[in-house]
Amino acid sequence: MTSQTATTNRSKLVVESSITDKKKARGKVKGTIIGPIVALVIFLSLWQSIPIVFEIKPFILPKPTDVLQAAMDDWHLLWPAIQITVTESIIGFVISAIVGIGISILLASSRILEVSLYPYAVILQTIPVVAIAPIIVIWFGSGFNSIVIISFLIGFFPVVSNTLMGLNSVDKNMGDLFTLYNASKWQTMWKLRIPAAMPYMMSGLKISCTLAIVGAITGEFIAGIGGGRGGLGYAITVAAVQLKTPYLFACAIAGAIFGIGFYLLVSSVSKFMLKSWHESAMKVEK
Amino acid sequence: MGAIQKEVVSFKGVDKIYNTGTVALSQLDLSIQEGEFISFLGPSGCGKSTALRMVAGLGEVTKGKVEVFGQNPKDLIRNSNDIAYVFQDSNLLPWRTVLDNVMLPLELRGSNKNTRKEIAMRVLEMVGLKDYLKSYPRQLSGGMKMRVSIARALAAKPKLLLMDEPFAALDEMTRQSLQMDLLNIWRKEHTTILFVTHNVYEAVYLSSKIAVMSARPGRLASLIDVDLPFPRDRVNRAFTEYVDLASQSLEHSLNRKELV
Repeated sequence: MTSQTATTNRSKLVVESSITDKKKARGKVKGTIIGPIVALVIFLSLWQSIPIVFEIKPFILPKPTDVLQAAMDDWHLLWPAIQITVTESIIGFVISAIVGIGISILLASSRILEVSLYPYAVILQTIPVVAIAPIIVIWFGSGFNSIVIISFLIGFFPVVSNTLMGLNSVDKNMGDLFTLYNASKWQTMWKLRIPAAMPYMMSGLKISCTLAIVGAITGEFIAGIGGGRGGLGYAITVAAVQLKTPYLFACAIAGAIFGIGFYLLVSSVSKFMLKSWHESAMKVEK
Repeated sequence: MGAIQKEVVSFKGVDKIYNTGTVALSQLDLSIQEGEFISFLGPSGCGKSTALRMVAGLGEVTKGKVEVFGQNPKDLIRNSNDIAYVFQDSNLLPWRTVLDNVMLPLELRGSNKNTRKEIAMRVLEMVGLKDYLKSYPRQLSGGMKMRVSIARALAAKPKLLLMDEPFAALDEMTRQSLQMDLLNIWRKEHTTILFVTHNVYEAVYLSSKIAVMSARPGRLASLIDVDLPFPRDRVNRAFTEYVDLASQSLEHSLNRKELV
């Protein structure tokens, strides 16, 4: 009896609060959309007016309209470059996700492996990949392969360190529960440690997806043209040499837009995976 | 009562000293018979949870011996479903629905899918949560989560149910209704229950026997047989007498500690 009335009261409360939440949320959404738009408009108009007022040459600081013009004029160059960079980053990211998660599971499944190898993983992480990129070009030749490898290397470590942390931070009582039911090592891995590590894994992937783009563009700086066609990084170096600054800006902005899009995609996948249970994804569900 | 009873758990001269030097248990001797509902009652730090963990094979003894059904608990959990444990917090896996949580023990033991569901439905009905199969733990109240946790423990049909202050975090109303349900389950399932609590009323309301523990070092202060019929009336004079008895023995054990 008591528990029944308690539950009905509870559901009423939940319904009421969700209605007010919706109203609030709508108000908030208005605020959160209008605010950034106003800021953007102010920023763009400042940017537009400064070169005019101070008479700065377009090859030093192009106006937004110059950048837009350059993007439209050279769209036949820009679009293929974007496609190449997108392909490289996505492949680099996917490899770093698969290899990263795989290696973490392997390390976490054996105490000896983890203890002996993890310190080196940390050291490897501190090596600036940009510094070893030329070696990768020497080994794998210039072009697509090297660029993907550089992108993979940059995106790889955040996945490993986050996933490992997640796999090792399983609640002690839950571990006891699995011990009590005589769960095998792999049962514990699949049914407890990996699901528990999901939120960590996802934040690792979110970091690594933006890094994969940085990796691809950096790779293109160094490994240049791939199969006769260069990506954004290559386009940027060429534009810089030729002082086509507006086009350089267009390339950089294209990279940024891709970066934002990719990040949003990965975070929505993450939210979808965690939505039923994890705090980080719950607010959105409301 | 009266019939020849089988020993379920025995502590023989059990000491537990942690690496830090803390003496959690000292010379614990206790025998628990089949069908009993025994409460470990004591202040925090008296080693009652430590004792419970040993019975579940989750903790090692420093000296002495713990046996469950005449076996080493670690061997027992490896080979059977005889022991179930209800943790202080509900300890549900947040990414699993209520039904999947309850089926977990059966899944880990590798029983087939239809049997699993059948059993899970039965125990969920027993705790009154049949309508919440697809809910996730975060959608439930504290009391409901604890019900799921109890259902999960019952799913594997344990002969011995260990409960570590399961109701400590719940409000009084919820606690009372869960206590009532637990007694019904105990009667229906014929399990032996070891129940850890620091609440004297709870111990008297639930137990057939109360093991009062003293703290630092944890030892058995006294053993009280609660000879009252179920369901018990909390305002009855006999009930109050048992509460007084248990409280006195608890205080006595505290005072003795201070004298030493």
